[in-house]
Amino acid sequence: MTNIRSIIQDMRSRSSRVVQDRFPAGPPSSAAAEVGVEDGMNQSCWANMPQELLREVLVKIEASESAWPLRKNVVACAGVCRSWRHITKEIVKIPELSGILTFPISIKQPGPRDSLLQCFIKRNRSSQTYYLYLSVTNGPANAEDGKFLLAARKCRRPTCTDYIISLHADEMSKGSSTYIGKLRSNFLGTKFTIFDGQPPHAGAKITKSRSTRMVNSKQISPRVPVGNYSVAHISYELNVLGSRGPRRMQCTVDAIPSSAIEPGGVAPTQMDFSLGNVDFFPSMPFLRSKSNHVETFSSGPLASQKDGVLVLKNKAPRWHEQLQCWCLNFHGRVTVASVKNFQLVASPENGPSGPEHEKIILQFGKVGKDLFTMDFRYPISAFQAFAICLSSFDTKIACE
Amino acid sequence: MASSSTSVVVSNKEKENKNTKKVTLKSSDGESFEVDESVAMESQTIKHIIEDGCANNEIPLPNVTSGILSRVIEYCKKHKEAAGESEPSVTSYTSNSTTNPLTEWDTEFVKVDQNTLFDLILAANYLDIKGLLDLTCKTVADMMKGKTPQEIRETFHIKNDYTPEEEAEVRKENQWAFE
Repeated sequence: MTNIRSIIQDMRSRSSRVVQDRFPAGPPSSAAAEVGVEDGMNQSCWANMPQELLREVLVKIEASESAWPLRKNVVACAGVCRSWRHITKEIVKIPELSGILTFPISIKQPGPRDSLLQCFIKRNRSSQTYYLYLSVTNGPANAEDGKFLLAARKCRRPTCTDYIISLHADEMSKGSSTYIGKLRSNFLGTKFTIFDGQPPHAGAKITKSRSTRMVNSKQISPRVPVGNYSVAHISYELNVLGSRGPRRMQCTVDAIPSSAIEPGGVAPTQMDFSLGNVDFFPSMPFLRSKSNHVETFSSGPLASQKDGVLVLKNKAPRWHEQLQCWCLNFHGRVTVASVKNFQLVASPENGPSGPEHEKIILQFGKVGKDLFTMDFRYPISAFQAFAICLSSFDTKIACE
Repeated sequence: MASSSTSVVVSNKEKENKNTKKVTLKSSDGESFEVDESVAMESQTIKHIIEDGCANNEIPLPNVTSGILSRVIEYCKKHKEAAGESEPSVTSYTSNSTTNPLTEWDTEFVKVDQNTLFDLILAANYLDIKGLLDLTCKTVADMMKGKTPQEIRETFHIKNDYTPEEEAEVRKENQWAFE
């Protein structure tokens, strides 16, 4: 038996050798051509596929792989080569419209307009790390069924605490390519600032801090400033009942204009991770053709800080006389009473209250020992939502 | 089994009685194929040529070789037949395989080497046969699923043409997506 096998193997290797010898000499015979397809070709027919047909194929993939973990197939297609990347990125819609997160940049983009995107947060007390996942099944948060989105690690400093937020739990340094931003709390844990590692909109100013430095990463040759851009401020206060009542939370999102939630309003949408004005894909600008979206680098500077930015406040719970506790309707998404639980709505600070001020923009609450749900929607992004929730973990206001 | 063979016999008889119109299609390598006009009209391109009164003797198809054209005709015949025997909506290519009785046949039809598959896509596009284009594109899409970018490149023999910066971005994306 071994003799026959070795004979066949020898014949096979011999025939492929013959084909490869013959290939450069001239048009191969039809039999050899079949083998030649597998062995000899450097550039195959697929590399020359007409763009509109390649698009047909990629459209099919995008449509069928709409939920994680299969969604990774769409990301894989965008990683094959330049033309595939260009087409795939054109096909994929932003979360605001599709309700689907696809590329890592999705976590920096506003959530869906029409519904809350359901996520959950797992806390690891021993490593002081928090993990944000996208829920992939409906129903109560199942710790096993999630797509990992972001990780945050708590770093205590002498005068403040930082939560470093990254695309990868093991890469938490600011110079890393996975760094997204951070949440910084003041000494008392009453005020917080969310920093974005990238400019949220044109004209954004870098916050000068000791740690701002030039990074010469091995992968990225032009030296780019890794700065911190302040995008939101969160403050916690006691309400009139002191620590016996629910705390008051206010979040001023400097990066989003208050007009974003009005009919026809838009919120700045980052399209890629290029820092500052450095464009890493000069031949393929990822421009959105829809006219009602603000390009990151084509919009003018936002309105001044105090006037016209989005302000979120927590919805006041009602006192339930029979249950003798404060209650908010979390629609089944929060199951354990906790002072950390909250719902944020847009505050009608800049004008009369309208229907847009009724919508819950962010909801956060406990469902298990170290498990919390986080539901958010337009105009805030997963990153901003996560950072706001982290502040709820940290603040000491009204904690018994 | 018995009922389907009966209906085939019936439709053959019908064809003989009707004296169906035929057209001749000529491939790029000079081979001629005579087919029922109704079958040929599965192709919107051919349909327009016929309707415009331009199909005198033969319809030349310079973009389609005989090998591919014969397969395309086989597809059109099969799908036209199925349309004739039942509701027309059944043969419109649906993604729901349980309502499409030709799913098995279609699956076998696309079990071909990559070059043939590629040529079928181009032919379906040129001849404007929606069902065939959907089927072949879906087949290619299925070949990509569950693969990393490198594996996709290897399957389709595609060159990685990224700059180092782009490569870093792609790596970051895939690391996160496959986490």
